[in-house]
Amino acid sequence: MNIDPEFVEKVLTRFIKDEWGRAGFRKAVLGLSGGLDSAVCAGLASRALGPRNVLGLILPMGRAFPEEVADARDVAATFGIRTKTIDISPQIEAYFSAHPTTNRVLKGNKMARERMSILYDHSAREKALVLGTSNKTELLIGYGTLHGDMASAFNPIGDLYKTQVRTLARRLGVPDRCLSKRPTAGLWPGQTDEDEIGLTYETIDRILYELVDLRKSRTEVAASGLNPADIDRVVSMMKKSEFKRKLPPIAKISFRTIGHDFLYAHDRED
Amino acid sequence: MKIALSQFAPALGNVKKNLETHLEHMETAAKAGADLIVFPELSLTGYHLRDLAPDVALDPERNPVFRKLRNESRRIAVIFGFVEETPRARGQVYNAAACLAGGKLLHIHRKVFLPTGGMFEEARFFAAGRSFSAFSAPFGRTGLLICRDFLSAGSGYSLFADGAEIMIAVSAAPGRGSSGKGAFATSRMWELMGEAQAFFSTAFVVYCNRTGVEDGMTFAGGSFIYGPGGNLEARAAYLDDDFLLHEISLDAVASARRTRSFKREDRPDAVARSLERILRTDEH
Repeated sequence: MNIDPEFVEKVLTRFIKDEWGRAGFRKAVLGLSGGLDSAVCAGLASRALGPRNVLGLILPMGRAFPEEVADARDVAATFGIRTKTIDISPQIEAYFSAHPTTNRVLKGNKMARERMSILYDHSAREKALVLGTSNKTELLIGYGTLHGDMASAFNPIGDLYKTQVRTLARRLGVPDRCLSKRPTAGLWPGQTDEDEIGLTYETIDRILYELVDLRKSRTEVAASGLNPADIDRVVSMMKKSEFKRKLPPIAKISFRTIGHDFLYAHDRED
Repeated sequence: MKIALSQFAPALGNVKKNLETHLEHMETAAKAGADLIVFPELSLTGYHLRDLAPDVALDPERNPVFRKLRNESRRIAVIFGFVEETPRARGQVYNAAACLAGGKLLHIHRKVFLPTGGMFEEARFFAAGRSFSAFSAPFGRTGLLICRDFLSAGSGYSLFADGAEIMIAVSAAPGRGSSGKGAFATSRMWELMGEAQAFFSTAFVVYCNRTGVEDGMTFAGGSFIYGPGGNLEARAAYLDDDFLLHEISLDAVASARRTRSFKREDRPDAVARSLERILRTDEH
């Protein structure tokens, strides 16, 4: 579970440099929420591509979460990257006044997709690639919006659990506030990931690490002192979110089908 | 003897549900007077298991699912597919098929040829079996093959040399291409082998394929029975679930072998010597 942050930083900056270079891009665009994951990604991208080649988009919903906006600016200043702030409330409010709902999840998903739509628009404007900021914990339990925050061209931190991202953050010099505050998806005031999921990241990560990385059975994980009900909950979240980690299956008809037996590497150069 | 073929779509990773289906179909087949029921490849687990394979693996000696099926086999003999993991080789899982009859485990075949290429990736998850052998069942000398095993002259020949009168191939064959006649093009490949193998082995060839869809691959169905004259005796629906009941008589094997003396003239010693030489010279 422990990572060597110096080594991981080296692998991930090399990853960004190589993948961007091979795809023919020098610039990255990412969403800056003021949280830990996007801060770490901003730090990695600025070291890999140079700070001027990284654009952090700050995409608040009106005047909600002013501290998050301030933290996002602080992250950008720390790593010297460019920023642009766009208020997403006009389009979100226009949509929900035509199609009202009281469902907070629907609103959250719409906001996440609106933000990603703006990120992709800016990737084309800037000739940049969208850098993904989803960590391994949220990918495995499906705590993210499909085609929203889960979308990207490349994701440097998708194999790091939340607690490992925190270790890397310290090495990169992420501002203290990002490290000390409780993670939030910023979907409504006072919301935190851990309250919404009902488990702390420390617990989720320990369970995931034993199940996924060590390939232990549920019984074995329980034997190492973790609560069986928590384990079941994590397993169930993992199973239910499988579709979020896959491209949509294509119905096979022919002898050569995309994804089945038409198989090329992402990084082919010829 | 009467054979039942259960052409159905196993639930992926749900052994409990599949066991229920097995017991139900065994009951139906037994009531219809069948002596043997054959299920498709990996019928207890589903096919596209990937990392689920070790999670659904069973030890034939100890697993309660196996015990249940063994008890039920007092009523009707059964051949089904499962993932095998034994205490002797923990962490090593096989794509296997078992034959249970009269409350006993008669035979387990571990898939030898693991398709790995194109859309297939079995060798990433399964260990390979090492031999083809016929065994004596109450209904006659039998050989088991799993899917790709069947698409080889060598596997069928080994069973023929070992005295098989019935070759049973269980399969989870996804369809590719269109035959232009309401079936996948690849269904013809299996029938071609079935016909040739039945004709030249002068044995019954029973092929039980599955149906259903897993992650975009559609299993082709089209299970069949060829008689020892290379004649198509019965065939199940393409694509759709089906339940085939068919009466066969092993006397047909004896009469075919009197008519065409492939078995009498066979020289397994010459084949073995040739294979040994080929293996020795390492030029294969």
